[in-house]
Amino acid sequence: MSWWARSSLRTKIFLAFSALILPLLLATLSFTQLLVGRDAERGLAEELRTTGQVFETLLKERTARLRASSTLLASDFALKRVFATHFDPNDYDPETLASAGLSYRERLGIGLVWMTDEAGTLLAASPVSKRTGQSLATLSPLRQAMDSQAPADTIVEVDGQLFQMVAVPVFGPDVIGFLLLGQAIDDSVATQLKADTRSDVTFLTPSHVFASSAARGGGPPRLPGRRAQQTPFLQRAGNERLLSLALPVRAELTEPLYALVQGSYDKALAPLHGLQWRISAIGALALTGALLIGMLLAGGIVRPVRALVGGMREVLQGNLRFRARLDRLDELGFLARSFNEMVGGLEEREHIKDTFGRFVSRDVAEAVLNDRIPLAGERLSVSILFQDIRGFSLLGRTLDPAALLRLLNELFSEVVSAVEGEGGTVKQFTGDGVMALFGAPQVYVDHAPRAVRAALEIVRRLERLNRHWQSTGAVRLRIGIGIHSGEVVAGLIGPDARVEYGAVGDAVNVACRIEEHTKELGATILVSKAVLDQLGAGFELGATAEISLKGTRDVLPVVEVLALHEAETRAG
Amino acid sequence: MPVHLFICRLCLAGAIAVAPVAVLAGAPSLSGIVTSSDGRRIADAVVFVQSPVQTSKGAKPPQMVDQVSKTFVPGLLPVEVGTLVRFPNHDQIHHHVYSFSPAKTFELPLYKGEDAPAVLLDKVGVVKIGCNIHDWMSGIILVLPSAHFAVTDANGRFVLEDLPPGNYVVAAWHAQSKLKPEEAAQSVTLAHEPAHLDFTLPLAPARPRPSVHGVRAER
Repeated sequence: MSWWARSSLRTKIFLAFSALILPLLLATLSFTQLLVGRDAERGLAEELRTTGQVFETLLKERTARLRASSTLLASDFALKRVFATHFDPNDYDPETLASAGLSYRERLGIGLVWMTDEAGTLLAASPVSKRTGQSLATLSPLRQAMDSQAPADTIVEVDGQLFQMVAVPVFGPDVIGFLLLGQAIDDSVATQLKADTRSDVTFLTPSHVFASSAARGGGPPRLPGRRAQQTPFLQRAGNERLLSLALPVRAELTEPLYALVQGSYDKALAPLHGLQWRISAIGALALTGALLIGMLLAGGIVRPVRALVGGMREVLQGNLRFRARLDRLDELGFLARSFNEMVGGLEEREHIKDTFGRFVSRDVAEAVLNDRIPLAGERLSVSILFQDIRGFSLLGRTLDPAALLRLLNELFSEVVSAVEGEGGTVKQFTGDGVMALFGAPQVYVDHAPRAVRAALEIVRRLERLNRHWQSTGAVRLRIGIGIHSGEVVAGLIGPDARVEYGAVGDAVNVACRIEEHTKELGATILVSKAVLDQLGAGFELGATAEISLKGTRDVLPVVEVLALHEAETRAG
Repeated sequence: MPVHLFICRLCLAGAIAVAPVAVLAGAPSLSGIVTSSDGRRIADAVVFVQSPVQTSKGAKPPQMVDQVSKTFVPGLLPVEVGTLVRFPNHDQIHHHVYSFSPAKTFELPLYKGEDAPAVLLDKVGVVKIGCNIHDWMSGIILVLPSAHFAVTDANGRFVLEDLPPGNYVVAAWHAQSKLKPEEAAQSVTLAHEPAHLDFTLPLAPARPRPSVHGVRAER
């Protein structure tokens, strides 16, 4: 028997629900992981891009401010006059230029002010620079401004620091020099960006970190390969995973410059984890619910089924009065009603059989009820037993009829019991006598030994009855039993209203004749030769005789049966 | 080296190298065409006698750079060294004319009309003038060593009148010329007939200028 077949209904229902809920739960968790995770990542990536855009806007605004400031400064006539002094070595005034640079730097709140002549040689710088007197013509914004005679800007590295730098020509009225203003891109810029956007920003090249809002520890952040740029990638910083985006920044450096924008991937996924916890909790609740529902459902099914099973046991033990009490309209209710109808049918049938059996033998009743008796009758080899009470006429005159009837009933009860004990059928009671058939309707091959054993049992039981009756002062009965074997036609005899089971054939008459001779031969049990031939060993036989049959000249050899050997009795 | 510096040196060299010749009345003229390297005729080029130096006799007539519609008129003014130049302002607004050029550094603070004093240009060279208020206003006064000079017309033509016969070094200048005047200079001998002399000047691209009301002014 499989494990499934052995499992209880409750387990099956629970497993069925679990089989439904668990995949759903897992699928929900997977989908949540997939969709929410993707959303969270997308959202974070969007935040990073926004930070990048904010940074770009910030750069543009700062550049625009620098351009506006420098253009205005370059138009200052006093500045032009000081600038123009460099045309005449005698008139050149670098100190005034430098102090003007300091003044402008403080006025604008910027990091760097440089002034060059029209050829790009640095005339003055604030803060003081060792480059003073050197040509800056190769420096990107200045080179562009010299080419275009118009303001130019770019990001450059000055002494290891990043600067947004704007170069503007100073006209007087032709170009008489260039003014360069620079604003640092340092940690404070990154920190300000982080305050505005919540994303960490680091400005770096593949080999150098210029500024960062993140704590400097654990080495510089890693840059992805060129292909991965503009695409978010994961980077680990300590125990935290960071989603990072490397945005290229236009600058004039020896290496490409990036703004590395980073946000905590784990924090972005925190809502997902919360959601997964909730879904898991709901799943656990659903499973518990499934268990409870399984128990309730199983209870609802198992209880009535158990009641029916109990009823079945009752019926098997013979209690046909049992009725299942299930007040429900579902299949179980139908089952219970069918069960009750079936048991009712059985009870009715048993009642009929019982009632019927009082008038016919139980075998006949059984055979009739089961339609085992063909209407046309059947030819069977049987043994016929006739039993009669000797001196019954005298008894009828001496005993009270009621007492006589009681004696008869007690005797016949034992006779019936003995006959049925050997599988025989009590065919009829003829006043003081009994006719019994062995081998019909229930067919037995050994009908003759059965009949003889039944006869010996009747005799034994009668002796017991006689002892009982004598102890109460009643009479002592004596009987004679004749047995013959032969072919008869057995079947239902009589009109429909009064039909009865009977056997017709010469063998019946012969058996009756043998019984009639018991008295004159002084034997209790006489059997014909046909019976004797079938008995086999084990029977103690008495004298043999020959009897004549009425209406014929035939004689029939008969033999008295005295007893059954012990071994046969036990075997019987 | 700035243009004004090399013109100074040029004038000095010319004065030493070439001996003066007699000036005769009714003398023939020297004419010609100034073209760029790509064959275009150049307007506003100044052709002048570099040597021998011949200055005007008597008082030099004062010259004028007017200011009309926020523009210097003329935009280019060649003058003989020692000339007084006035800067009348015919706009209804103030101007603040200045020059940081070594040939002449001066400043005429905010004024209108004829109030500003004349400026004596006493040094050979290029004097770039501007207005402190209007960045796009720009003009050039070319201070030349001699009284013989001419400005090319729209077809690049020039005529130097009343040059007496003799040997001359004649130079050409243009604001965009890549050559120094002495590098473009040519010697010419004048007899009694009109003579012809052409110049070819390689020009640098025009420099952008500060914008006028948002539009870049190209010169």
